[in-house]
Amino acid sequence: MATTDGTTIIGESILISGSLNGDEDLTVRGRVEGTLTLTKTLVVEPTGIVKAEVQVKNCIIAGAVVGNVTATESVEITKDGRMVGDIQAPRVIIVDGASFRGRIDMGEVDVEGQPSRAVRSAPAPRPALRPAARPAAPAKAEAKKAEEKAPAAPRPPAPPAPVAMGAVKRKVIVKRK
Amino acid sequence: MAGIEKVPAPRAGAHTVIGSSIVIDGEISGDEDLVIQGTVKGRISLRESLYVENSGVIEADIETANVEVSGQVTGNIAASDKVELKADCKVVGDIRAPRILIADGAQFKGNVDMDVKEAKGK
Repeated sequence: MATTDGTTIIGESILISGSLNGDEDLTVRGRVEGTLTLTKTLVVEPTGIVKAEVQVKNCIIAGAVVGNVTATESVEITKDGRMVGDIQAPRVIIVDGASFRGRIDMGEVDVEGQPSRAVRSAPAPRPALRPAARPAAPAKAEAKKAEEKAPAAPRPPAPPAPVAMGAVKRKVIVKRK
Repeated sequence: MAGIEKVPAPRAGAHTVIGSSIVIDGEISGDEDLVIQGTVKGRISLRESLYVENSGVIEADIETANVEVSGQVTGNIAASDKVELKADCKVVGDIRAPRILIADGAQFKGNVDMDVKEAKGK
């Protein structure tokens, strides 16, 4: 009924073989074999086993998947996830601990435009800059001295983060490193 | 995930829910309660209870312990314990079970076999 609208759960002891189509989120804790087509998110939990051709919007794999996965948005293999098959999705996330064998196709990857990679990886080191600059502050006197010596020098680096997409900023990042 | 809490309270034992927009063509088997709000074609065999809710449509042969139908079922039902046809349900097919309940308002067409004494003595 309306109470469960939007979520389908396949329990641990359930086996579905055949084709499964739907327009809502699906959580698999049991087994699904055949073909699986959804317009929303598929979550394969650690106890879940999917041996199927999968076509979804998003896919989160924490269990086992054997078969090809095509996602219109993203595929994520978590640390407990195991997968054998090909992935086709614009965003693919494989975390440490996940096991995967197969091909990945993220569509058109612009090899020439390498900087775009640099921009994506850059935000990670950046947040570290701020905390590193602050430990000097505990003693007020020291903090004041620091401000006098280098007035607001360590602080400005923070703002660039949100503007990371600007093409011009890339060079700045490289220099700082 | 977040969806677990959404399972209706009376069905607390049911971990499997086939949502209303889901269409399954094939076979479902398992050892736990199953709630169907969507469409299933093919075959269902369970060792527990099957609940076909108002929005549920089944075109399949069913083999379970218990069946509760509020939706539509086309196919034969064989239950080892009980079959309950609730008001507003539509069932076409044969039913075989020791206990069969048909509520006022239920629509049913088919044979009923409660495995009465004569048959038991075979």
